[in-house]
Order: sequence, then structure tokens, then C-alpha cells
Amino acid sequence: MLDFIPPIDILLQLLINGVLFGTMYGIAAIGLSLIFGTMRIVFIAQGTMIILAAYGSFWLFNLWSVNPYVSILIVVPASLIVGSGLYQVLFRKVAREGQFPTLLIAFGLMALLENLMSVVFSADARAIQTSYAAYALTFMGLKISFTRLMAFVMAVAGTVGVAFFLKKTLLGKAVRAASENLEYAMLVGITPHMVNTLTFAIGIGLAGLAGVATATAYAFDPFSGFVFSLKAMIALALGGMGNVVGALLGGLLLGVIEAFGAFFLSGGWADVISYAVFLLVLMFKPEGLFASGTSAKP
Amino acid sequence: MKTMGQNSKSKRRLALTVVVVALLTAVPGVLDPETSYVVFLLFSAFIYVALAQAWNLVSGYTGQVSLGNHAFFGLGAYVIAIGWSRGLIGYLDPLGMLLAGCAAAILGILVGIPLLSKLRGDYFALGTLGLGEILRLVTIQGRALTAGPTGIFLPSSSFTTIVPYYFMALFLALLATGVTYYMVKSNTGLALVATRDDEAAAAAIGINILKFKVLAFAVGAFLAGLCGALQAYYVFHVEPQGFFSLSWTIYPVLMCVLGGVGTLTGPVVGAVFLTAAFEVAKYYLPEIHPIFSGLLIILVIMFLPNGLVRLRRGRIVRNPKAA
Repeated sequence: MLDFIPPIDILLQLLINGVLFGTMYGIAAIGLSLIFGTMRIVFIAQGTMIILAAYGSFWLFNLWSVNPYVSILIVVPASLIVGSGLYQVLFRKVAREGQFPTLLIAFGLMALLENLMSVVFSADARAIQTSYAAYALTFMGLKISFTRLMAFVMAVAGTVGVAFFLKKTLLGKAVRAASENLEYAMLVGITPHMVNTLTFAIGIGLAGLAGVATATAYAFDPFSGFVFSLKAMIALALGGMGNVVGALLGGLLLGVIEAFGAFFLSGGWADVISYAVFLLVLMFKPEGLFASGTSAKP
Repeated sequence: MKTMGQNSKSKRRLALTVVVVALLTAVPGVLDPETSYVVFLLFSAFIYVALAQAWNLVSGYTGQVSLGNHAFFGLGAYVIAIGWSRGLIGYLDPLGMLLAGCAAAILGILVGIPLLSKLRGDYFALGTLGLGEILRLVTIQGRALTAGPTGIFLPSSSFTTIVPYYFMALFLALLATGVTYYMVKSNTGLALVATRDDEAAAAAIGINILKFKVLAFAVGAFLAGLCGALQAYYVFHVEPQGFFSLSWTIYPVLMCVLGGVGTLTGPVVGAVFLTAAFEVAKYYLPEIHPIFSGLLIILVIMFLPNGLVRLRRGRIVRNPKAA
């Protein structure tokens, strides 16, 4: 009667694959969440920034043989600078004009970068081929890809770092204050532009980290960023907007839903299921599944 | 809102519209439609005018920022493709196109009621974005009905000349502008604008805000569905990637913003201007024109956020909530 349920080790393997892949969505969602939380910008170009960072890591490895895990030291600081630059050049003037000017700028940036990358780097799918790329750990009969595990570790480290920064440091508290109530934050002397620049820098910095993780563990091409952004938004809706840990959990949940959906139905229907879950959550639990009282509310 | 009164002004406007439409009707007669690039250019501009007005009605006047136009556009195209490939609908069949528009409108109502009653602002925008993706994925999975990712090939031997397309697109552009004008001028328009400017106040004075939001959304969907139907007849190959492309939403949005959101002439000006700009870019910079398009979007928003139409009037009053 229960023939359609596969053995437990396959279920566990699916769970692990889902969690490992879901961290990619999660880390992209955290960047989106921070940017949305303080500026109400739906930064749809986040996925494309991740792909740009992935190319950075890819070329550092291919041209100068920089180990991809060492390239974090170059890619992430560069992303921080690019992030603050993006805010200063593109969003400073229109940040408070309401959501669709900023959404359109983000879309324009996405179109610009996607096509620029496909002209300069070609539209071929790429992946970093290290000597350990195919190496997998075996644990109680379950296979865990080393690079994907490292990507998971990087995502968790990034999340913990950002959560710590927001909770414990003065600057982080300023960011949280500005996302809770901008006017009160300004009354106690917080400069919105400073907070916004910082948030953008962190958001894109996380995109840099996610980019390195993507480049080492998965294949990518210039146009994979958009779906990445959409999935990150689903993760964000699942986790609750403006909630850092929730965003990561939302990503993990989405990854698991997709892994199981792809196994029981087919790859294409898995995506339909994730969008359907997205719409249902937006409608019936817009504050997210993991909303807690402590973090910034939408 | 338009300024009321000034009868002579509205008469002059009507006269100008009639003259422009008369000139546009004469274009295929004067220029050779087989060779002239202008005829094709105007054809695509008209489709974009209609799409931009459809978005303008929902987002510009009613304030519900929708990113799901491409869902209705693609649905309209698929109704034609499925119907025609099975012999249920003829070539350039007005009834078929009406059916496509109605299918989109019905989807608009079915999706609009839950989305519009539950979601506001960004959440509604994200929800409609999800709708387009769902439809794209469903058509990819649709097996025999939608022919999967390769899409449906239609008998392109039916094509003789661009002239009927030209007039149909002109009709769609006029229809969309006329419907928007009619809805905005009537009491419906007042209710829509009131809903946009202050939802709570509008509800307090007895406006059924959900009804008006869904009405605007369904009319916008109907217009987008018609455009998709015409595009399907023109391209002869309906596939998920091209017809459920987000460009069918974003370009009209950009055209509205460039011309002026929440104005009647803004989307027309924006659509004509941008279609021409994109075509010029495609001609002179064939390799890198998508880069140029992206750059153009950024520049327009940064330097012309209120639109060309308002630039002339010098009116920069914006309600931050309206955005």
C-alpha cells in the first residue's frame, strides 16, 4: 500500500541535497531581505550580482590559479565596495521615491549586467574545475558533495556574521533601527544614507560570498541570475521579509521542497510547486513562516 | 487626474486625436507596406501602446503595481495557438482574439480576487510576478496541449501582408486608450484614483475597493490578452520563453514611467518613443542592444522619474503613496 514511499535513505539523501542547494537561495534571500528591510527596494538584480561574483571567482581561478576559497578574500571585499557604489550611484537619488522606480532600476541593472556578461564572457555555462570538485564524503551511506558542503558552511557563516553584526554592533543596531522606523531613527541621529550604503554593501557582499559558493559547487551562465532572484524572493516570503535567520530557513525549506518535488514529480513541476507555495504563503501568512517578535517586521 | 472644464481644450484634444488617427490610417496607403520599415515599427509601437495602457490602468490609476502583464499576454497567445492549431479558430479571427482576451480577463478575475483582497504594494507585485512564472512552467509541462518548451508552430503560409496586422494593432492601441479614457472619466475612474490615493478613506466613504481593483485588473488582463493574441498571429510560433518573457511586462512599465504614470497620453508617448529607440539600437548596435536597453531603463528612472508628459506641464507633484 505504501509502495510509493521510497526507502528512508533516499528520503534522507533528498533532504540533504535540498538543504545544501537551499542554502544558495537562503544566502541570496538574506541580501534581498536587508535591502528590502531598510529601503523597501525589491532588488531583483541580486541573483545577477551573485553570478557576477561567481565569474569573478571563476576568472581568478582560471587566469591566476587562485584557489576559489582564497578568492573569497578578494571577491567579498570587492562586492562590498561595488555594493556601496551601486547605492551611491543608482539608488541614492530615488531611494525614497516609492517602489517601482527602484524596482525598474534594479531590472535595468539586471538586463545590463546579464547582457554585458554574455558579450564579454560568452553565454557558455561555466563551473570551476578544481581537483576536489567531484570529491564526496560518505556518511552512513549518504553522499555529501564536498564543494556543496563548503557552500553550506559559507552560507551559514555569512548568516551568523550578519546576524551578529545586526544584533551586537552599534552600526548594526542603526541598520535595524532604520528598518523598523526610519523617522524615529533619524530623530536619534541616524543618517539614512549611511545606513542605506552600509546595507547595500552588506547585501552585495553576501552576493559575493554566494557567488563564490555557486562557482565552486554549481554550473552557472550569465542568465541564471534572474531565476536565482525569483527563488530568493520565494525564500524571503517563506521566511518573512526583514528577518535574517528566517530568510536562510526559508531558503532551506524551498530547497527541500524542490528536491522532493523533483523526485516525486519531475524537475519542471517542482518549480510550479515552489511558486504555488510562494503564492499561498504570501496570501495566508505574509509575515512569513518563521517570523519572530525580535527581528524587524515588514 | 485631468483638469476638468475648459471645453475648448478638450475639443482641441479630440480634433488632434482624430487628425493623428487619420494620418496613421493613411500610412500603409502612402508607404509601401511590403518594404517600409515604418509600418512595422508603428505596428510594434501600437502593441506596446496597448500594453502600456493596460498596465497604466491597473498601476498608474488604481495604484496596484502589477508585474503580471506577461502572464495575460502569454495566455492570450496560447489561446490562439491552441485554438488555431486544432482548427477551432481561424487566421486573424476577431472572435478568436475576443476569446483570448476573455480567457485572460477570467484568469485576471480568478487570480485578482484572492491576490487583491490579501496583498498590498510589494507583496502584490511579487505575487503577480509569481503568476507569470507559474504559467510559463505550466506551458512547458503541458505536453501535447502546449507542445512543451518548443512551443506550437502555426501555419505561417497564411501570411500575405502586414497591413491587417497594422490596422488591428492600431485598433488595439485606440481601444486600450479609449477604455482607459472612458473608465477614468466616469465615476469608476474617481473610485480607482480614490483607491490609489488613500485606500482606507476610499473604503470609508463607501467605495467597494476590492470590486474596483478587480475590475481594473481584469480589464488590464483583457487588453494584455488581446495583444498576446495579435502577437501570436504575427510570430506564428508560440513558445513559453518568448511569450511569458518578463520583457512584456517591464518594457510597458518603462514606457509608462518614461511618458508619465497615471496620465492618458504618457503611455502613448513613452511607447512610441521607446519602440523607436529600441529599434534604432537594434539596427546600429545589433550585438549589444540589450545592454543599451538596460542602460536606458536606468537613465530614464534616474533623470525622468515623473515622465515626459509632466515635464512639459512642469508639474512635479507626487503622492509618495501613489507609487
